[in-house]
Amino acid sequence: MTNIEIGLWSFPALLLLIFLRVPIGLAMFLAGFLGLGIINDGFHIALARLKTETFTTFSSYSLSIVPMFLLMGHFATLGGMSQSLFKAAESWLGHRRGGVAMAAIGACAGFGAICGSSLATAATMGRVALPELKRYGYSGGFSTATLAAGGTLGILIPPSVVLVIYAILAEQNIAKLFAAAIIPGILAAIGYIIMISIYVRLNPKSAGVRPPVPMAQRFRAMFDVWPVLLVFGLVVGGIYGGLFTPTEGAAVGALGTGIIALFNGGLTWKTLMGSFTATARSTAMIFFIVLGAAFYNGFLAVSQVPQTAADWVSAQGYSPYMVLLIILVFYLLLGCFMDSLSMILLTIPIFFPIISVLDFGFVDFVTMQHDMIREAIANGAAQGVAQDVMDQINALMAAGEEVPRKLSAEVGVRLTELRANAIGLEYTAIWFGILVLIVVETGLITPPVGMILFIINAMDRQTPIVETYKAVLFFITSDLIRVALLVAFPMITLFLIT
Amino acid sequence: MNRFFLGLSRLLAILGGIVLAVLIVIVVVSIVGRETGLGAITGDYELVEAGMAFCIFAFLPYAHMTGAHATVDIFTNALGERAHRWLLAVIDTVFAVVLIIIAVQLYGGLVSKMNSGQTTLLLQFPVWWGYLASFCAAVIGGVVGVWHALVRITEAVTGNSIAVEGGET
Amino acid sequence: QEVTLKLHQFLPAQANVPKLVLDVWADNVEEDSEGRIKVDRYASMALGGTPPELMDQAIDGIADVVWTVVGYTPGRFPTTEVFELPFMVEDAREASCAYWQMFEEHMKDGEFSDVKIVGTWVHGPGMFHTNEPVRVPSDLEGMKIRGGSRLVNNLLTRVGAEPVGMPVPAVSEALSKGVIDGTTIPWEVTYALKVPELVTNHTEFEGAALYNLTFVLAMNKDVYEGLSDENKAVIDANSGLEFSVFAGGTQADADGPARQVAVDLGNNIITVSEEEAKEWDAIVNPIYEEWASGMENGDALIEEAKTRMEQCGENMADIDTYGDS
Ligand code: NA
Ligand code: NA
Repeated sequence: MTNIEIGLWSFPALLLLIFLRVPIGLAMFLAGFLGLGIINDGFHIALARLKTETFTTFSSYSLSIVPMFLLMGHFATLGGMSQSLFKAAESWLGHRRGGVAMAAIGACAGFGAICGSSLATAATMGRVALPELKRYGYSGGFSTATLAAGGTLGILIPPSVVLVIYAILAEQNIAKLFAAAIIPGILAAIGYIIMISIYVRLNPKSAGVRPPVPMAQRFRAMFDVWPVLLVFGLVVGGIYGGLFTPTEGAAVGALGTGIIALFNGGLTWKTLMGSFTATARSTAMIFFIVLGAAFYNGFLAVSQVPQTAADWVSAQGYSPYMVLLIILVFYLLLGCFMDSLSMILLTIPIFFPIISVLDFGFVDFVTMQHDMIREAIANGAAQGVAQDVMDQINALMAAGEEVPRKLSAEVGVRLTELRANAIGLEYTAIWFGILVLIVVETGLITPPVGMILFIINAMDRQTPIVETYKAVLFFITSDLIRVALLVAFPMITLFLIT
Repeated sequence: MNRFFLGLSRLLAILGGIVLAVLIVIVVVSIVGRETGLGAITGDYELVEAGMAFCIFAFLPYAHMTGAHATVDIFTNALGERAHRWLLAVIDTVFAVVLIIIAVQLYGGLVSKMNSGQTTLLLQFPVWWGYLASFCAAVIGGVVGVWHALVRITEAVTGNSIAVEGGET
Repeated sequence: QEVTLKLHQFLPAQANVPKLVLDVWADNVEEDSEGRIKVDRYASMALGGTPPELMDQAIDGIADVVWTVVGYTPGRFPTTEVFELPFMVEDAREASCAYWQMFEEHMKDGEFSDVKIVGTWVHGPGMFHTNEPVRVPSDLEGMKIRGGSRLVNNLLTRVGAEPVGMPVPAVSEALSKGVIDGTTIPWEVTYALKVPELVTNHTEFEGAALYNLTFVLAMNKDVYEGLSDENKAVIDANSGLEFSVFAGGTQADADGPARQVAVDLGNNIITVSEEEAKEWDAIVNPIYEEWASGMENGDALIEEAKTRMEQCGENMADIDTYGDS
């Protein structure tokens, strides 16, 4: 067998292990370990790599953001932020038809702004909002489905653990990815709220109505969410504004929410220990998958599969949008069985090289150069430049041709094709990352296996899971419409970073 | 006996949590120092890296004991109770072997970093300090892994449930 | 053939050192052994891991031969740092010659006892490649500059820059994404890393180099010991002083064509004169004392390196040219 064949055979082997209930991280580790053993005719190299690879994988500065964000989410819950968010949203929306469900979505969006995990958002908001929805006569399946969909906002709205992992795998800027996720995240919340109003119109009995709350009370409730705004502004604003690195932002957020929780009386010795052990469980789960993925991807790289796949796809001359569509559908299908983080760690090292050789037409070097030259001239860069040089530049631009760098340097523009391509690749990577994020998150609420569906459904023992499945289809529809929108109009995603 | 190992791994997880909290404080103090002009903590980056490796190794045993690892169980749910128990016994035995290999190889890394005298780039503290802390946690990880595998095998043979699923909240 | 050696390194295959130095070495080994030894070449970390792990890969046998920057593993080979000191090296051939001599004298059985060293060399003059022009140290204030070793990072800190440690293959991406504002590297590698297309300013120094990095070509010891006597003789014939001088000289000679690329692109090239360099030297000179105080016989090593470089320069004509056998 050639190395590439060994690499290709590892896929079915890995899927078999995963479907046999082998923990996903362990399955990837075993596939990588055995694969390296077969390629190298013995395990000495795989073993030698283990001497440093576990340590170096776990000691990643960028990944340290993960436990910090998880701890921040726990502190936010202890600090009562989930309750105050829900109360505020509910006081404004609760009297409308379906208003309590809309308030739950709003509160999920707010909590998502200070929590990096979908599962934590779903679990926290479920605890707060589920009893309220029941109290106002919302049907079981509608309530659980609403909260499940709301949970996905935990990852879509930054900060987001899955986005951090994507950024590291695709070697992209975490701050820019966070910024790019904001508008799609808000669109998601709006889409869910629209779906709720459609649902209650179609099923009028599924939701009750309660009398409006006095205005003064609404404003008081809104005032109570200031810690959420403060933390979100500080963390995401600070990261986006370049005040600190994403890891620093996570540390600020964790300490900030911790202090707020301490003052609110939510943080005691006992709950602190509970936060530590809960953070320990999710962190270890994530990092063991990261370790398995690092080992498996190291093996894949040696087997040359990702490079060969990327070369093959680009040689076929497929339409970039067709390739993108196939990948997104693949994620939706895989998402019926697997959790989002595992999918990203498993697939991005293979799919990203493919996507990055495709041209989605985000940046055209000549156009970009001409724009920059025009801007430079408008800013007075042409002053003092010899007239014949300017004539040459203008002639080339009028003809729509590239201006040689030596000439463009005269007006201070030193753009090269490499730099332009790097910008184009960055746009592609960010846009693709947000699309993937949405489809893998949709996977968390697609039947039969949806981690968030399970978590929420387990909180409501009277509701059969089938009821949840039925109602959640509405929200999945909203997700698919949003993906179509973002594919058709990349600027929605890229707007905040261009 | 299971309670002892559960308690041990829980303690280790809490220790990891405390280290995580210390790292968070270091990073924040460093930002404040930098922004106020008092000066950042030199090499906070390196401290986070070394500390984080220990945290993760310290978190793993508790996650392992309480079944925190992500799995796909839709296909195996169809299995009978007995077959399912044996499947878990096999998987956790393999897992134990992997955890032991990880600890043993990490020891190899520790020794080679100790002998080589390699330091970090800025603070220039020996790289093996981080390895040693991680190794201690990895040893507990290996021991806990073996215990958990024994529990699974006992469960498979006797049909009784011993292991604790899910952590405290 | 009898033996296949896996040669692992961090740059693309078509970069200067892989193409002009490592391939020449590998071809010579294959030819001299009359086909008994085959050298498989793995560029750009194709065997996995990161550049700082290369040395351990050679020691642990993940690769058989590695080319690596010694500074990527700070603290392990402190004696080599004598050639990294600021304004120490004037000529890469002389320094590579002195480096090999001092390797045999001081490091072979000590710091490098875990591996078989094939060659030791330094690159051409180290310099800055930046977004914004740099002529005096204060121009670097607050700029994020990548450095390749602890002494370079020390130097960067002293001149007011914010040092960022990363291996050289990561430089292109970091520059294109604005993670760093500039990098220290010699001219030679700028071409493979496309640095002149990513930054527009280059600051070179007349006279002695601002800094240098040291390299080794290292071989797994067990693999070397396990060779037949005649194969060992082939490796020996392709190791040592001549090869080291060839490697350092070839790498430094590649500076010129790479510089021309930047010139052709219309980049801004700043040459700090020897007079202007005094301001730089005054700031970074305390590194000598600091380094020497951390070594058992630091001052003596500095003197020895200077003397040997001078002697090597005088006797350069007597050193056989590598590969001419
Ligand atoms: Na979030
Ligand atoms: Na699903």
